Amino acid sequence: MTVAGTGQDGTAGTVGTAGTVGTAGTGRASGPVVRRVLAGGAGPGAGDDGYPGADAGPLAGVYRLLVDGTLRTVDGAWLGESLLTVLRERLGVTSVKDGCEQGRCGSCSVLLDGKLVTACTVLAADAADSRVTTLAGLPDDGLAPAVQAAFLRHGAVQCGFCSPGFVVAVTDLLGRRPDADEHEVREALAGNICRCTGYGRIVAAVRAVQEDLAGQAGRPGEAAPGEEAS
Amino acid sequence: MTGTTAALHRPGTVGEATRVLAELGDADLLAGGTDLVPALRAGTRRPRAIVALRRVLELRTRGVGADGIVVGAGVTYAELAGWAPAPGLAATARAVGSAQIRNAGTVGGALGSANPRGDLLTFLTAADAQVLTCSARRGPRTVPLPDFLLAGRRRGELVTAVRIPPTHGPQVFLKIGGRQAAYPALVSCALVVDRADGRVGCAFGGVAATPPRARAAEQFALAEIDWSAVPTGARAQALARRFGELVTEAARSAAAQLPEGPRDPADYRWHAVGVLAARALARCLAAPAGAEGPAAEGRGGGTVAGS
Repeated sequence: MTVAGTGQDGTAGTVGTAGTVGTAGTGRASGPVVRRVLAGGAGPGAGDDGYPGADAGPLAGVYRLLVDGTLRTVDGAWLGESLLTVLRERLGVTSVKDGCEQGRCGSCSVLLDGKLVTACTVLAADAADSRVTTLAGLPDDGLAPAVQAAFLRHGAVQCGFCSPGFVVAVTDLLGRRPDADEHEVREALAGNICRCTGYGRIVAAVRAVQEDLAGQAGRPGEAAPGEEAS
Repeated sequence: MTGTTAALHRPGTVGEATRVLAELGDADLLAGGTDLVPALRAGTRRPRAIVALRRVLELRTRGVGADGIVVGAGVTYAELAGWAPAPGLAATARAVGSAQIRNAGTVGGALGSANPRGDLLTFLTAADAQVLTCSARRGPRTVPLPDFLLAGRRRGELVTAVRIPPTHGPQVFLKIGGRQAAYPALVSCALVVDRADGRVGCAFGGVAATPPRARAAEQFALAEIDWSAVPTGARAQALARRFGELVTEAARSAAAQLPEGPRDPADYRWHAVGVLAARALARCLAAPAGAEGPAAEGRGGGTVAGS
């Protein structure tokens, strides 16, 4: 385990920037260059935007993250970087949206060892032996495709910024509680903010998935009282 | 990959953690990350070293014994939320944050952050909780929660658990916040009733730097309420109203008042905790005897799914 330097070390930042593209390793090499959200990235030199950068503290050393089943190497990141920052700005996983960075908006929702969390409140270096699952890592043969289809069909996607976080949260909820009533659905999604839909269409999409699930299981009549889909 | 960089330490046991803390002298402890990681991003905290406790499984135990309930510092709100032996604690944990926050945030983290608006701190204060800590040099220590919150964590010390003495009676936690999910409450109030000896523990959060106890209101409840023949109707209403007034007075006279904000003048906070306290006592009075009936509720300005 090495520490390459502190925030004053400009070389380390260069390594981090190059690593963003070079370590992608999921077929992106020939595709478009991974988008950097902040021009200065999270490395040193980004200090003039009001965020720590001029001295972002110690480096985290080299560590690996298991993201959607693929081991990704993170090199040159600052110790204080969140999983959100590392996913987006170093690994190019941009389905994880950067909204509030305070754990309040839910747009960066991911699964950490199968538990729904906000990536902005997870220290990336401390996730090194955990499984990180983003929208893209939700299994194709699971609930996620149905959830995504229902979101489109029911107009639950408008600007789309919150959608990846919502789909992860809804997939997590329905995996655990397929029969959740509307109150429970709303409570479970209370950590995800949507500024477009007013939530009605999102809840409708969730209820539609639940109905389909109940239908597939051949027990359409078993919904609890008051559970008719809106 | 696990292990340790020069700046990030990821101990696997309490012993390792306290040794690392003793060696470092000065390090931030990382539990669920819901407070520390945003603070790192915002630059309000810039530790040279972090001791991450995710791998310390010892801290994730909880149990019920003769001397009460013991909850490990690494237990998350989500784990508490469904825990039958501690209904009041479970109800409070359900009112915290959002599903995402409850999956990550821990009891030890709440104590370490000591947010004056922390939901859990209000409940634990009302419940006479004690904080169990451990340090490599001085060994284990048990300290009443209010003392811990005033003095803070000692250098080299790790919070290992909280202990709540056993009570038998209704427990209620109520809070008011701008948005139900994910935001800290503006004010909160917790009531813990022990029917056996008639004592009522009442604490309120969001007013002072740490959650005060409303002693005069507690004395009033002890003197006026016979929990074996619980008053009802107009008598219950009058008791609840007077109880709320006493809590408002306690809030007004509390030391170390939090700074006022444009949306929460001190007058409003004092009034609001009184309203919550009256409502909480009314619920305790209405709770059926024998039922450890917990009730917790967040009252926000918006719908459940957002503001």
